[in-house]
Amino acid sequence: MMLLHRGIAASADALQRTQAEAPKALPVAGIAPGERISCTREVGGQLVGGSGMSGSLVRRSLLTAAIAFCATALYSQSISNSAFPERQSEKARDIPAASMDSQITVPGPLRSLERMAGISQKVDMDEVLPLLARNVYVQGYIGWQDQGRPTEFLILLGRYVNQAQEIANLAGQGGVVHVVNCQEVEPLLKVLGYRLRQQCGQTNASLITADEDRAFLSSDSGFPLVALENAIRGVKPFSYQYPQSKVPVLFSERDWTALAKESRWKHSLLDTFLHHPTIARLYWAMSRMDPETRFALKQSPGLASLLPLAPDLDFYGSHIVIRSGRALVPGGADAEDAWKAVVGANPSNGSDFATRLLTKDKGWLAAFYDCMSRVSRDQQQHFADRHRLESAYAAFRGSQSLTDAARPAFRLASGLLLLLNNLQWDAQGNPIVPGNVDLWKSVFSQKHESKLEKEWGKHANKWTKPDEVLDAMFAMSRTDVEYGPLQMFLAFSELNANRPPERALKPETFKLLAAHYADYSDQYLIFSEFPQLDDIAISTFVHSAEAIDKISNHVLRGNAMGTFQAEIGLWQILARQHEIPEEQMNPSFLAVTKAFGAINNATQLFDAGRQSLGATLQAATGRASVSQQELIEMLAGPKPADAEGKRVHDELAKGIRSVMDGQRLVSLDTLMTLGRGLDDMAHGANIGASLVPFAGELQEFQMPRPIFTSSERSEWAAGVYNNRHTDMQMQTDLSKILKAPASHDQIEEARGKLAPFLRDTLVGFNYAYYEPPGSQLLRTNPLFVRSHDFAGETVGGIENLWRAPQLFGEGSPAGGGAHLVGSLADLPYALSEAEQDFITPENVQALIWRETVPELLTDSVFPRWWNVSRNELHAAALYQRAGEELLNAAESNQDVRAKVVNILSQRMSPATVSRVEEHLGNAEANQAMSMVTPSNLVCLTAEYRRLYPQDTSVWGTAGKELDQLSQSDPHVTSWQRISRDFGIPHPRLTQSYARQVLGLEPFPAFAGYSSRLMAESWESNNLYWARLADEMGYPPVMLNILAPQLTRRMVEKIFATDFEDWPALLRAMREAGNDFRSGKMAVLPVQAEGSRAAAE
Amino acid sequence: MRMSSVRSIVALTVLLGGPLVVGGISQEGNSADIQVIVNMVQLNVAVTNNKGDYITNLRPEDFTVMEDGIPQKIATFGEGNERTRRIEGAVAESNVPSNPAGAQAALPDSVSTSVLSSLVAGSNVFILFDTSNYMYRGFVFAQDAISDFVRSLENADKIAFYSYSRDLSRSSVLTKDRAQILHSVRSTVAGDDAALYNSLLLTVKDAAQYQGRKVIVVFSNGPDNSSVVPPEDVAELAQSTGTVIYMISTRAAQLEPVSTAVFERMTAATGGKAYFAKNWKEEKQAFSSIREDLAHLYSLAYYPKPNPNRGWRQITVKLAGSRPSYHIRTRNGYRPLPARFSTAENHPPEAQASGTN
Repeated sequence: MMLLHRGIAASADALQRTQAEAPKALPVAGIAPGERISCTREVGGQLVGGSGMSGSLVRRSLLTAAIAFCATALYSQSISNSAFPERQSEKARDIPAASMDSQITVPGPLRSLERMAGISQKVDMDEVLPLLARNVYVQGYIGWQDQGRPTEFLILLGRYVNQAQEIANLAGQGGVVHVVNCQEVEPLLKVLGYRLRQQCGQTNASLITADEDRAFLSSDSGFPLVALENAIRGVKPFSYQYPQSKVPVLFSERDWTALAKESRWKHSLLDTFLHHPTIARLYWAMSRMDPETRFALKQSPGLASLLPLAPDLDFYGSHIVIRSGRALVPGGADAEDAWKAVVGANPSNGSDFATRLLTKDKGWLAAFYDCMSRVSRDQQQHFADRHRLESAYAAFRGSQSLTDAARPAFRLASGLLLLLNNLQWDAQGNPIVPGNVDLWKSVFSQKHESKLEKEWGKHANKWTKPDEVLDAMFAMSRTDVEYGPLQMFLAFSELNANRPPERALKPETFKLLAAHYADYSDQYLIFSEFPQLDDIAISTFVHSAEAIDKISNHVLRGNAMGTFQAEIGLWQILARQHEIPEEQMNPSFLAVTKAFGAINNATQLFDAGRQSLGATLQAATGRASVSQQELIEMLAGPKPADAEGKRVHDELAKGIRSVMDGQRLVSLDTLMTLGRGLDDMAHGANIGASLVPFAGELQEFQMPRPIFTSSERSEWAAGVYNNRHTDMQMQTDLSKILKAPASHDQIEEARGKLAPFLRDTLVGFNYAYYEPPGSQLLRTNPLFVRSHDFAGETVGGIENLWRAPQLFGEGSPAGGGAHLVGSLADLPYALSEAEQDFITPENVQALIWRETVPELLTDSVFPRWWNVSRNELHAAALYQRAGEELLNAAESNQDVRAKVVNILSQRMSPATVSRVEEHLGNAEANQAMSMVTPSNLVCLTAEYRRLYPQDTSVWGTAGKELDQLSQSDPHVTSWQRISRDFGIPHPRLTQSYARQVLGLEPFPAFAGYSSRLMAESWESNNLYWARLADEMGYPPVMLNILAPQLTRRMVEKIFATDFEDWPALLRAMREAGNDFRSGKMAVLPVQAEGSRAAAE
Repeated sequence: MRMSSVRSIVALTVLLGGPLVVGGISQEGNSADIQVIVNMVQLNVAVTNNKGDYITNLRPEDFTVMEDGIPQKIATFGEGNERTRRIEGAVAESNVPSNPAGAQAALPDSVSTSVLSSLVAGSNVFILFDTSNYMYRGFVFAQDAISDFVRSLENADKIAFYSYSRDLSRSSVLTKDRAQILHSVRSTVAGDDAALYNSLLLTVKDAAQYQGRKVIVVFSNGPDNSSVVPPEDVAELAQSTGTVIYMISTRAAQLEPVSTAVFERMTAATGGKAYFAKNWKEEKQAFSSIREDLAHLYSLAYYPKPNPNRGWRQITVKLAGSRPSYHIRTRNGYRPLPARFSTAENHPPEAQASGTN
């Protein structure tokens, strides 16, 4: 307890010095001044995480807070990992008797309660009650607040608590269920819901169900029934530890039970939670706040007053920070007046400010404030101006009547957070509007998707300043529109973000893109990824897509869409792998897209496909023609010169071939041979007979042996089963044309029949390249590629087929298997989404959530590491290890601690950073490290080196080596390189597939995105895999194999409680790493020199 | 000569009995590939009379095996749990085709004897238990029934216990340790959607990793609301890897025609049986029937005669002579795995040299 007090107070002292002494950023080797790096955002403004206080008054407040804090349970998300402290055993996790008023007793083993309450059994003890409370209000009721109807989950949980109490009574004071003879077993069996089929003591005695409900609870909660059965069979004593578990509680149990309306639910906190979801939600919300803030709110306005605000506090309250009674607002002291005006309360009275914030505008102001709190201090500073802040909020709030912002199942206004994160500013502090203001005037004057858009469109023609456009974007950010002006603004901002000013896209190009935004927006991400593409290339893409859209024959249109996008996909892969030289990117892309500008029949489509592919190959190899084997080799990556690289390359090529085999696709060689042969025949060559064997290959494909009859499919899978595309292919017979004399037109027509096959083969290459780890569908279902529905034939209601594909046919046994409908945009994610459930979790209740895992899988196959040097790989590891050195130094050095906390507070929630600070103050650096993600470690090192270059004494071996490496090879240690080569794509966060590390705090779940934004803000995997590879002596190219394998292993190990549970990702990632380090994962053996880091 | 026959045998086993991956399930890399080499075809055959009684003591010459109408020579034979025996001259008489996949390297000679003897030395039984929300009612009764089944299996049998809802859970890998299996059965947790065919596919692939007779017993309520693979793919893979599937459904499946159709047809295609149990007593009877079936299956294997068909190959097994009242149940065919892209062998030389425009 004293350590805790000393830690917080000490760091406050240190922080004062830090604020006064913090130097201006100086250039250091590897990080250029002014380099655009998210991780090294300017440090300024106020500090959060228990550190923004000063003077003796502050220390007194801290002392008070610390004492109260010590009497409460602390938020903790420590990680189980061999490199870090394991989760303590349940016995060891018991709290000392000295703090009895801050714990409660629950009947039975904690593991059983966690199992029944849907809580990961790997969480720390002080997370048990918050998560229980969360699950009660999220899963326990159907309906709003306390008026809801209990779900089966809640009923079972309630029954379990009762049963556990009965067993605990049998266990008695000693906490051990002990049965020594047949007579004693009867009462236990009755409670458990079982009976004996044979006589007790007989060798074949076994348990069978007597009471279904009780037996279900016994089994589901993990009671050792088999051990009991064995004991009964052998008439041996049965002994089972059945302790009353003690778990920490925020404040005291009485504080919470007193809130219950009925006295019968005031007896225990469990009763209170189970019957009052609102109290449970308030408990959860308070547990997400930092200790000082929640204590301040408990004091004023108090828990009873906060109860009606529980939903708002839950969704939008975790970044409210009160220090010494004062609210620390986004933008710091400079912004206090602005916030005072917007909120209507002075931040100097933190509790009043927070209460007003939560109350005003039905939670919308809190939502606005929460988003503002989550972005960088740089961005916050731009809204310190009162007029700008008021104007932004007024626009965001709107003039319409408001619904409750915390009423839906998910947080709202994700667009606001995306907008704030991506806003760009010019040197004068004005927002940068892509294109120009006129562009946005015209955007708002076009057709409107929503009333709000229409309303703003009325005034758009008067806009003259960028700020007016920005206000419109704030207004749009409150609406739940998928493809509106805000999304367009974000996408267009990104389009110009990486282009030099002289190559910025012209307003006319933006106008063209804007005009087709609703149709082609998902395709625009390629333009962000490749700033080499100019206005003409981009316009040509749009015009070709338009031309394809105008094809009236839907079969031809579908084949054209598929072929066109597959061609672009292949270009994208080869360009990304630098197999297409940079100077060739724009002309080759132009040629690839231009080929599809005028398609009127299948023959033209086949020819366009050949021409387009030829353009890509010409740019990549200097030849317009390669064999399919060569193409597969190219897709596998640039062929390295060294043996290790070749092995990796061969493995990747093998994987692509396996998928192509699994799909039983016609080879590209066959199609091209037939195409050329038919060309020659059209010009009079008599070679038909020689082509017959090739034509036979078109007919080799057989449908899987049917289980259902046609009529059954019509009845049971109407609208789902549709293999018309494949059926038509199977009827293709070119042999008649080849064997008998045919007219020119007939030969031309025959060539057109190859078009659907070419489409499938090209699409197949795209699928194969992005094959997620652990995939089955791609290798087992031969209809998967063929069934990709580009034309929307199989389902109705698809608004736009150029958008990212959706999976259809799931859970329809007569439907012939799931397939994708839509374009090839976002294909890696779509494939991962389809394949994710083939990964088998190690843990029951693993809760492998549906948006996060596909993103993790995508991030493991999308990046490739062909051009990464060993030094760069080593640098990625050094950044992480140096970050740990900093945390170690912060343990004993208050000054360093304050700096470290200051940096971390920009990318961690106040509660988490507060916990890290507490650990550091308690000389528990390892505990602190367990909460810091690899991406945060990298950012911490980068930021510290940038801000305090003269502060060299803090570094250990890794930090010093990083310095040396920075001097000898500055390029490989630059943030830009590390971010590019070990970062991930952020198609939703930044509207681009360009890889980078943004260094953001994990996003919460939002309506419309669920946990996908969180997944995109989880950037640690590849950095961590790089560190492991470096430690184990693997060359960088091995990451091409290791990253998918390690990610798959990580996914197997995820043991989460909810879809915002990023600590579960951290835990699983490190567990996978431990398996790798200990040799539990088989990978290609190292051929190069041994471990570098291991030797240190 | 001996060398070549040994290699042929091993390679054949790899194909239809499952790859000889020593050590069991491969979790690394992509284990999605099951190489089906068509050198030896193994059949599990049940012969019953009109009353459903098993016909025993049949000899190899009592069986006639045809593949795509081509008569085949039985190479190995066994009944029930007895060890299989080689039929002299079978290999020599067969014109063993070249391996179309050309994939698997031969194993050492020392392996061959154990490979042969393991073909029928007990069964590898994979139990797949539906723990989805569909099974919530009656969940514990199902656990009771499965526990009884596990206790009743012959000691020679190895058992794996898997459960599924939306995802597969490999609760217990193949083992002779019954206590471990029972513990796994009692530790299952109910909940979530049902992805029967996804999970069955993974189970078939796991089973295919092992030598010997492979049997999957599915205990399910029937409906599937989240699989992405269709049952056709699962059935084909089971047929091609020689895996017998038995399915026990609760009554609801019979009420649901889609599941009923799949259960009946998939099990028939693989040589297994489907049961629709209205209550726990019938569930127990179903398990008892499966146990009996396992004890009475004949195990036949043959080396396919040359067959140009690279697609689906139809298998027909009959009893020699006139025995019309007897019924034969076994898988009805298999599909060799294509390897167009994986190997260069299948491409005409001209195609190899061809290129794109």
